[in-house]
Amino acid sequence: MSLLQDPILDGLRRGWKVRGGAHGPLPADITCDVAIVGSGAGAGITAELLARAGLQVVIVEEGPLKSSTDFNQREAEAYPSLYQESAARKTEDKAITILQGRCVGGSTTVNWTSSFRTPDSTLRYWQAHFGLDGYSTPALAPYFSQAETRLNIGPWLTPPNENNDLLRRGAQKLGIPAESIRRNVKGCWNLGSCGMGCPTNAKQSMLVTTLPAALDRGAVLLVETRAERFELAQGRVTALRCSAVKPNGALASGAEGATKIVAKHYVLAAGAINSPALLLRSQAPDPHGRLGLRTFLHPVVMSAAVMDHEVQGWQGAPQSIYSDHFLQTQPIDGAIGFKLEAPPLHPVIFASTVPGYGEQQAALLRQFPQTQVLLALLRDGFHEQSPGGKVGIRSDGSPTLEYPLTDFVMDGARRALLTMMEIQFAAGARQVLPVHELASPYTTWAQARSAMKTLPMKPLLTKFVSAHVMGGCAMAGSERLGVARPDGVHWQIGNLSIHDGSLFPTSIGANPQLSVYGMVNRLAQGLAKGLSGRDVVLA
Amino acid sequence: MLQPGLVDGKLGSAGRVVVTHVGRALLDGSLPADPASRLAALQGLLERVDALTAALPPHAQAELSQLLALLATLPGRRALAGLGPDWADAGVPDIQQALQSMRTSGLSLCQQAYQALHDIVGAAYFSDAQTWGQLGYPGPTPL
Repeated sequence: MSLLQDPILDGLRRGWKVRGGAHGPLPADITCDVAIVGSGAGAGITAELLARAGLQVVIVEEGPLKSSTDFNQREAEAYPSLYQESAARKTEDKAITILQGRCVGGSTTVNWTSSFRTPDSTLRYWQAHFGLDGYSTPALAPYFSQAETRLNIGPWLTPPNENNDLLRRGAQKLGIPAESIRRNVKGCWNLGSCGMGCPTNAKQSMLVTTLPAALDRGAVLLVETRAERFELAQGRVTALRCSAVKPNGALASGAEGATKIVAKHYVLAAGAINSPALLLRSQAPDPHGRLGLRTFLHPVVMSAAVMDHEVQGWQGAPQSIYSDHFLQTQPIDGAIGFKLEAPPLHPVIFASTVPGYGEQQAALLRQFPQTQVLLALLRDGFHEQSPGGKVGIRSDGSPTLEYPLTDFVMDGARRALLTMMEIQFAAGARQVLPVHELASPYTTWAQARSAMKTLPMKPLLTKFVSAHVMGGCAMAGSERLGVARPDGVHWQIGNLSIHDGSLFPTSIGANPQLSVYGMVNRLAQGLAKGLSGRDVVLA
Repeated sequence: MLQPGLVDGKLGSAGRVVVTHVGRALLDGSLPADPASRLAALQGLLERVDALTAALPPHAQAELSQLLALLATLPGRRALAGLGPDWADAGVPDIQQALQSMRTSGLSLCQQAYQALHDIVGAAYFSDAQTWGQLGYPGPTPL
C-alpha cells in the first residue's frame, strides 16, 4: 500500500461525478452547458476555466481513469491502459509508430514534462501564411505565463541524467549550443518513469491540476466512453452521441451511441488524429477540403550509442537538455530542420526498437545500461514538400493516418542521423547505431559518416516514431485555409469549438504541450466570457 | 483451411505455432540455453503475447490475426517468408533467414509483417521482470 496521497481517490471519496467503466453505467441522456470531448491538455485547461465561470461541464474520455496508486512504473501495464492502441498506433503504411495518451489527462499523464513556449519563428509563419495575426509572441505571452504558473513550469535545477548530459557534452565538444529544458513538475523525485504515469503526482499534468479543479466545481467526467459522432442540423451541433467502450476500445455492452449529450456548446479536444476523425464520422461540413489534412508528427529518428560507462537511461528526468541549433541556423521554410533531445530508456520500448534479431540483437540488448540514445524531431509543415498527413476513418469508424515520408523529410532524417552520431562520438561513444534496418554498429565517426552515404533512406527501413501529433483541424484567418477560426470556433458550425493541438496549422518545432496550454488558455477564456459573461483566469 | 491467428483477442493454435517458432529465432541469444528452461521461457512469451494482443484495438487484432493465420499455412509461409520446411521442423538459421528476407523485402507487406513480429515478440518477452537481468536493468525504483 503506497503511503503517497492519491488526489484522484481522494476526489472520488469527496463525491466527484465520474461515470463509465467501474464508476457506474452511463446515463442515456445528459444535458449540460458545455460538453468537452477529450481530457488532455486542451480539454483540461478548458474544463477548469469553464467550471470557474459557473458553467456545467461534461468531459468525455475514451480511456480509463488511472491515478498514482495505479502507476507502478511498469511498461507492460502502462502502455495498454494509458496509450492509444497500446502505444502501437501506426501510420497507414506502418512506417511511423505514434505515442499518444488515451486516459484521463490524455498525453499530459504520460508525457516527459518538456515545456517550451511556441517558437516565435513558428508564430511568424502562421501570421504570414494562415492569417493568424493575433498569434504573436507578445499577444500570447500573458497566456503562457498564466499556464506556467498554474502548472509549475520552471527551470529544472537537478543535474541532468547521464543520457541527457552526454548530449550536452557531445554538443559542447562540437561547438553546438545546448540548453536546459523547463519542466512542469512540483517536488519531482527524479525517478524517470514519467512515461508510465507519475507515481508521486509531481508531474503537473491535467490529471492532477485542472481536471480535479473542474470536478471539485461539479463537472461530470465520463470515462471509458467514446464520442462517436455529433448530430448536426442547420450549422449547429444538436447532440453528441457516445458509447461505452471496453479497455481495448471495442464496444462494451449497450448500443453504439446509446448515450446522448445535449449541450449549448461543444468543445472538441480529443487530440490530433482523433479530433478530425470525430468530425469525419459526423460528416461535418468541409466545403474547402481542409478536414484531416496537414496532420503533423515531428517525425523522429534515433541513434543509439554504447558508452564505456553506465548511462542507465531509465533513471532520472527523461528530458532535460536540448539543442535547437539545427532549427535556428537555417530558414524555417528551407530544408527541414530538427530539434535534438534524448529519450528515456525502458526495457519494452528498448527491446522493440533495437533492430535485428538473434545473437546480434542480444548483444545490443546486453549493453542496455551503457546505451545512450539521441532523437531528432523533424520540424514538418513549413514547406510545400512537407504537407503532413491525412486523417481518414476505417469502416469501423476508427481513425487512420496516411503520412508520406517524402524525400524532403528523408533528407532531414539523414542529416539528423549524421549529426546525432557525430555528437555521440564526440561524447566518447565506442560504437553508434542509427536506428535503421540495414545499419550495423559503427566504431568510428569516419566509418559512420561513410556508411550513411549509402544507407537507403526509405520508409520501414529507417525507423520513425512520433510523440507529437498536431494539425488536422487547422485554424486560419480565412475559411478557405482552415477548419477553425482564430478563436477556435469551427468555421461552419457555430456552437462547436476546437481546443487542442489539431488547431496548429504547422508543427510547432518544439514539444507541443505548453503550446496547447497557452493557446487554449486564451481560447477558453474567450469562450467562458461569451457563454457566461464572466472573466476567468487560471489560478 | 485458414485458422484464425487470434481467437477472442488471444493467440489461437495457429497463432501459437507461428509465435513460438518466430520467437525462438528472434530471441536466439536471449533465450536460456537449457532446453527445459527455453521451453518454459517460450511458454511465458506466449502468455505475454496473449496479454499484449488482448489489449489491441479490434482493427489491429483483425490485421494481426490475418497475418498469423497466413503464416501458419504452407502457401502463406512460403509466399510471405520464403520458408520451405514446416515451422516445427525448421532450424533457427532457416527461420532467421526467412525473417531476414521479409525484413529486406521490396514488398512493404513483408517488411510490415517482419516488423510486427519483431516488435511484438521483443515487447512481450522483455515485459517480464525475469528477463530484465539480461538487460542489466534493475527494475523500477521502489517507492
